[in-house]
Amino acid sequence: MPVTADAVRDALDDVTDPELDQPITDLDYIETLDVSDDGDVHLAFVLPTAWCSPTFAWMMAADARDAASALDGVADVRIELRDHMHAEEVTRGVNEDLSFETAFDTADGEVASTRATLDRKARLARQYDAMEALDDAGVDDRQLARLRRGDLTVEEDRVTIDLDGLYVELDARPLERYLEKARAVDLVTDDDDRLFASRDEETLSPADVPRARRASRLAKTNMGGQGGVCASLHASRNPELADD
Amino acid sequence: MLQHQGEDIFVIDGHLHAWDATKENIIHEGGEQFIKCFYDYHTGFTPEERQWTLEEFRTYSDEKFLSDVFGTGDVDVGIFQPTYLKEFYEDGFNTIDDCGALADEYGDRLITNGRFDPREGEAGLEDLERQAREYDIQGVKVYTAEWRGDSKGWRLDSEDSFEFLQKCADLGIENVHAHKGPTIRPLNRDAFDVADVDDAASSFPELNFVVEHVGLPRLDDFCWIGTQEPNVYGGLAVAAPMARDRPQKFREILGELLYWLGDDKILFGSDYGIWEPDWVLDAVVNTEFTEEEKAEYGLEFDMETKKKVLGENAADLYDIDIEERKAALRDDDLSAEFDTGAQYEGAAD
Repeated sequence: MPVTADAVRDALDDVTDPELDQPITDLDYIETLDVSDDGDVHLAFVLPTAWCSPTFAWMMAADARDAASALDGVADVRIELRDHMHAEEVTRGVNEDLSFETAFDTADGEVASTRATLDRKARLARQYDAMEALDDAGVDDRQLARLRRGDLTVEEDRVTIDLDGLYVELDARPLERYLEKARAVDLVTDDDDRLFASRDEETLSPADVPRARRASRLAKTNMGGQGGVCASLHASRNPELADD
Repeated sequence: MLQHQGEDIFVIDGHLHAWDATKENIIHEGGEQFIKCFYDYHTGFTPEERQWTLEEFRTYSDEKFLSDVFGTGDVDVGIFQPTYLKEFYEDGFNTIDDCGALADEYGDRLITNGRFDPREGEAGLEDLERQAREYDIQGVKVYTAEWRGDSKGWRLDSEDSFEFLQKCADLGIENVHAHKGPTIRPLNRDAFDVADVDDAASSFPELNFVVEHVGLPRLDDFCWIGTQEPNVYGGLAVAAPMARDRPQKFREILGELLYWLGDDKILFGSDYGIWEPDWVLDAVVNTEFTEEEKAEYGLEFDMETKKKVLGENAADLYDIDIEERKAALRDDDLSAEFDTGAQYEGAAD
């Protein structure tokens, strides 16, 4: 069965601007999304400025390519970065499956370490929402510090937390979003792993929880604050896309 | 002075420029990219009816500068932060000599900072001495991401940099303003990393390090350093205009800064000519935390804190006695020109 544009768009919801940790679909970066009857996908996107980090642009283009390519019924995927200082290098490099270092002869720094750094920041920022959701559900600091991956059971859009035989149920989304990044940074991979950690990814005692929560809030404020800068620049440069 | 809820607030704008990005001064494509990037920030945050054209933005007259800052702007004292970029601009973008001429003419109103670049070696040290001698500078602006030859930047915690910081300490230049902010095309992003401030600040406790643009998009790293180093400050330029069009984001940033660094460590800056101080100040001074935010951060952005952030903290760093300064400003040329002398009545003589 041929793939629909809606299905591709849904898949792109998982592609984030790595600096802001928000989906490119929510950020209104997508200018054109065409899906042909044969399953060929053409995605064109723009960024808030022509001089946004080429490393970040590359990560978004490559992630979008991978997300679309993974769908059943997709034939060819063509990604196009528009109106950017390095539009040509990113577009060509990602479509020809080159490495970042090959596509940019002047690249300083490489994608993997940048991605790892930003994943660690996103993990911390998402920890704030997860801790807040648990706090709202009545889970205290002592319990937060001791929670392990295996204490969580996700069913549909709800998660059940096992607190030594007491059960709390809440919306799964903040915890699932957190776990996605906690896995990406290899912090929470097994059922025995503690769920939360300090800014430096160290295990928490109950007394450490308030500071870890504030460090998480700070990471979220940083990403959100930078998101505000980018959104203002985007609204000014691309008013037809940005609706804020 | 700024009037707010029946009180006067003495305003020190800690981040001003007098630049020249006319086509005649541009000698590298980076110069054109740089001013266009600034212009994107200008249009991105400025209310539509207050936006300048790109041509107006390339450079501006002294008269316009003085009127925008001290006339409509409600600023009492301003501090120039030079930005050289001589690889991009023949005569530099915004040099101490450009700023110094105005600061000489309006000594009670304008302070010019100097600058250094450790890659200039011995000649750079000599020029720093010249700046101290000619302009009696109390501070320097440093641009760790500035290009020079094949180098795309330098670190504040390098051996060469320490030599210059020691020279600053010897010359009594106490305030080091480091540009650590959003990427500016075409400067290298990694050179805006804030980590190098940490070691420099702990190695030179006699100096004050003002991280301009509060490290965005590395506010988290910056605040973390700020909690550990008592001589690290945050300059609000770039964050401040968000108070108008993204007030919640601004309150979150301000809340974090006040929480982690404290209310003695935050300095206002408009970043003129990117933004005009009058509407930026208006948005900042009218910022109030919600009850929920007050509970979250455990603090308020009240009159006392506003006075500190908008003027008193910078006055401490630059040894300005606000009451004495008011008396001096009451009858100065600019008060006469803009008819602002009456607001300084009642100041101690």
